[in-house]
Amino acid sequence: MSVLFKTLAFSLGLTLLFTLVTYLLPQVKGEAPVEKEVDLGSLTMESFIALGEEIFHNKGTCTLCHQPAPLGRAPDIAGEDMVALANKHLADERYQGDAKNAEEYIRESLLHPGKYVVAGWGKKGSNDTESPMPMVDKPPIQLTPIEVDAVIAWLQAKDGGEVTVALPAAEAAAEVASAVAGDEGRKAPAPAATAEEALTKYACASCHAMDSRDTLVGPSLLDVGLRLSKAQLRQSIVDPNAVVAEGFPPAMPSDFASKMTVSELEMIVNYLAEKKG
Amino acid sequence: MKQTESIHPTGGGRFAVMLLSMLILLVFGLADVARAGTGMDSAQERIAPIGEVRLQGQPPVEVHVETAAIQEQEAEPRAAPRLSSADYPNIGVSSRAVVWVLAQMHLFFGALVLAVPLFVLLIELVGVYTRDDRYDDMAHEFMKISLTGFSITAIFGGSLALALFLLYPDLMAYLMHVFGSQWLVYAGLFFFESFFLYVYYYGWNALRYGNLKWVHLTLGLLLNASGLTIMVMANSWATFMMAPSGVDEAGVVVGNIWEVMKGPLWNPINLHRFIANIAFGGAVVGAYAAFKFLSAKDPVKRAHYDWMGYTSNFIAILSFLPLPFAGYWLMAEIYAYSQQMGITAMGGILAWLFIVQAVLIGTILLAGNFYLWSGMSRTDGSERYKGLIKIIAFVLVVCFLIWVTPHTLILSASEISLLGGSHHHILGPLGIMPAKNIAVNLMLIATFLSFQIYRRSDKVATVSWAPMGNALMIAVYLGAVVNIIFLGVYYGYFTNTVYKVGSSVAQVMTTLVVIVFGLVIDSLMFKKAKVLPSHWGRIPDRAQYALFALPIAFTWLMALMGYVRSSVKTHWHVYTVMKDNSPDNFIPAIGYAGNMITLVTVLFLLCVLFMFWVASLSGSKQPKPVVAAAGGEA
Amino acid sequence: MEQNNLGIAGRLAALIVAIIIMLAFYYGLDHLVMGMQGLPLNLDLTPAG
Repeated sequence: MSVLFKTLAFSLGLTLLFTLVTYLLPQVKGEAPVEKEVDLGSLTMESFIALGEEIFHNKGTCTLCHQPAPLGRAPDIAGEDMVALANKHLADERYQGDAKNAEEYIRESLLHPGKYVVAGWGKKGSNDTESPMPMVDKPPIQLTPIEVDAVIAWLQAKDGGEVTVALPAAEAAAEVASAVAGDEGRKAPAPAATAEEALTKYACASCHAMDSRDTLVGPSLLDVGLRLSKAQLRQSIVDPNAVVAEGFPPAMPSDFASKMTVSELEMIVNYLAEKKG
Repeated sequence: MKQTESIHPTGGGRFAVMLLSMLILLVFGLADVARAGTGMDSAQERIAPIGEVRLQGQPPVEVHVETAAIQEQEAEPRAAPRLSSADYPNIGVSSRAVVWVLAQMHLFFGALVLAVPLFVLLIELVGVYTRDDRYDDMAHEFMKISLTGFSITAIFGGSLALALFLLYPDLMAYLMHVFGSQWLVYAGLFFFESFFLYVYYYGWNALRYGNLKWVHLTLGLLLNASGLTIMVMANSWATFMMAPSGVDEAGVVVGNIWEVMKGPLWNPINLHRFIANIAFGGAVVGAYAAFKFLSAKDPVKRAHYDWMGYTSNFIAILSFLPLPFAGYWLMAEIYAYSQQMGITAMGGILAWLFIVQAVLIGTILLAGNFYLWSGMSRTDGSERYKGLIKIIAFVLVVCFLIWVTPHTLILSASEISLLGGSHHHILGPLGIMPAKNIAVNLMLIATFLSFQIYRRSDKVATVSWAPMGNALMIAVYLGAVVNIIFLGVYYGYFTNTVYKVGSSVAQVMTTLVVIVFGLVIDSLMFKKAKVLPSHWGRIPDRAQYALFALPIAFTWLMALMGYVRSSVKTHWHVYTVMKDNSPDNFIPAIGYAGNMITLVTVLFLLCVLFMFWVASLSGSKQPKPVVAAAGGEA
Repeated sequence: MEQNNLGIAGRLAALIVAIIIMLAFYYGLDHLVMGMQGLPLNLDLTPAG
């Protein structure tokens, strides 16, 4: 019995010792990437660039390989001026790609890394003809076009270069939104890009005639620009019950203030102010 | 004696005939089952004519469109489902933890019962060639103590399957769809395995000598064949989830079952698990021998269990030595498949686990070496090598420390916050592979040296070129040490990553050269060598604890590496094809993993104890109570 | 052990020769293994290419 006790105690002790080792190490959790909603209506270039930087460090998993010298398995992107480097590579006689400027070059190196492999960083044994870089727009990384743009914007901006990438356009945003909605089914609708779109989105025409003097639930808006100033227009959308037009019920929804983006509101106001019959 | 000999062949002969007829029956039965599987058409043939009956002149009855539509839908390519967290049943405890424990227990016992018949067969074969009954008895005993393990494997396998279907129904539905009829083949193999197992075990004494022994060996071979087939099939599911093949980007099956199975990681995993299973099995039965040795008082029994423990340790360490090479191949294939996955394992959060791995492998090597050194007290000729042991011990300890220290130095709280899954930018270089590679290879070489001197300790070479052979052997070791250190330091720190990785292959080759040269030189040099007497059982009791340390470290290591293997998929069920959106889709912290691993290790320990206890039950017999004749029967 | 026809000096010489042979062997091994991986080396073992 004492043999059993001794051997069991020894075995359990050893097991606990191994467990202890795991407690001495840093307790890092590997969270799965969280879907992030970006409000494109209020997106500025600064926040777009910041988004690019975040993607570079997290979702893009770029830093797994792109690290400074002794650790890196790929060029140290964070530590070098990418615009200057891109122009240098474009001038290289080995360059066979289609890019004409730094932005195109960076985009090409992101989406088609095999087009030009920086000397010394090719796949082992391929003599720098094949790139070991994964496809960033395919699973498991799966960056969307907007995210790729954001990364490019950050790469251009981080060393003081001029950002030539445009902020995501509304159509692209709508596309992404619908794709995401299909994917997740619970995303907010994308902000409208034009006044007409915004009017459709908030279904103004179901109560207000736009192109005639007909009175529906609310007054016609055909010549509203003559009757109200921009400030009054803004107020009647944001707080419709402050001044209710004579002879009409206070039926207008009062939650536009929390639904519309600022740019949508401004677009609608400007549009209506121009409506002068 | 003559009588029994004459009886045995006929009895065995009848047995063999029965076996054969049973096999034939089985094959026919299976063929029938296979035909029944495709019997759908014939059933329709029988029923269809009735549907065609109609009055003359009347238009034919319109075919019901719905069934056709359903069939079409079924035929449409089926992509991997996209799940939300609501699609996962919630039973109140972590689904992952439940599956984790069950899967690991199943794997432990599966590994054990795959490995034991393998080396049992080899030992049996050795017994046949040496005509030494001790080998045969030991092989039989190894089978006896692991017999319950088959049932335990099946119990945990069944529970695991139930848990998976209950907790991950959509994933399992998808996998069932992808692997299709392969599941049936898998289930069918279990019948074969059980059949061969029981006939092999219970037929041991019936088929012991002469030609019948070869029948028995063939049964063992078939047992191993079915067991290994089961293993590689199950491996294909794991590797499909890590590196799917035979499906397109959306998970639609585009290849046949062979293309699905033969993913890029399949063979590396097969080899790695195959070798590791043997090492694991050897270590576990070694613990049995050690326990018996410590409990026994009878010198004959002690000698027997000492020898059994030695053999187990031999199996465990010898199959452990090539394991890093198989692991290297696996890792290289992972990198080739997905650089990102490789770095998640070796450079990301999981990289920290390789420090625990270092501790475990260090424990295994130190324990194995310690046992070998202690075992040298069995022979009188071991005095010659005493000095060398001190050097080996020193090398092992220094390498072990090199392996572990640089990592543990970077563990201040502020640095943890800086980590983000990567190495520290100043101390990092000490913690990455080159330093570790040097240490690991030197430890392997040192362990092999222990082995070699143990093997030499009871022999004296008689060949004329022995001094030259020894000089060459010393040169092989010295040159290897120089080369390994040079490769690691120069390419590891002074050239780029590609050369760094490439040089580790050269290091590994150097280690292999040492092993091959050592085996070749010694087998030539000690042919017809003078053999000194050795005394089984003459080993200190404390050496037996090394035989307990081995299985514990192996079990822990297996659970740890299994966790790493599964975690490199990160938040994917099937990498790049099917996302894991369950609440458990994150990689848990190391401490949590440590708890889980300890839990399964202790559970395994208990189950193994039970297994050994059941085995010992069959050997013990309750004496018939004397008083029972009077009052017991009332 | 029966034929100790080598003296101390002879043994030392044998050892030195053996070490030289093995070092040359490992040198060749390094070239071979690295070359097989597409990582050629110069004669002084520095990376070529």
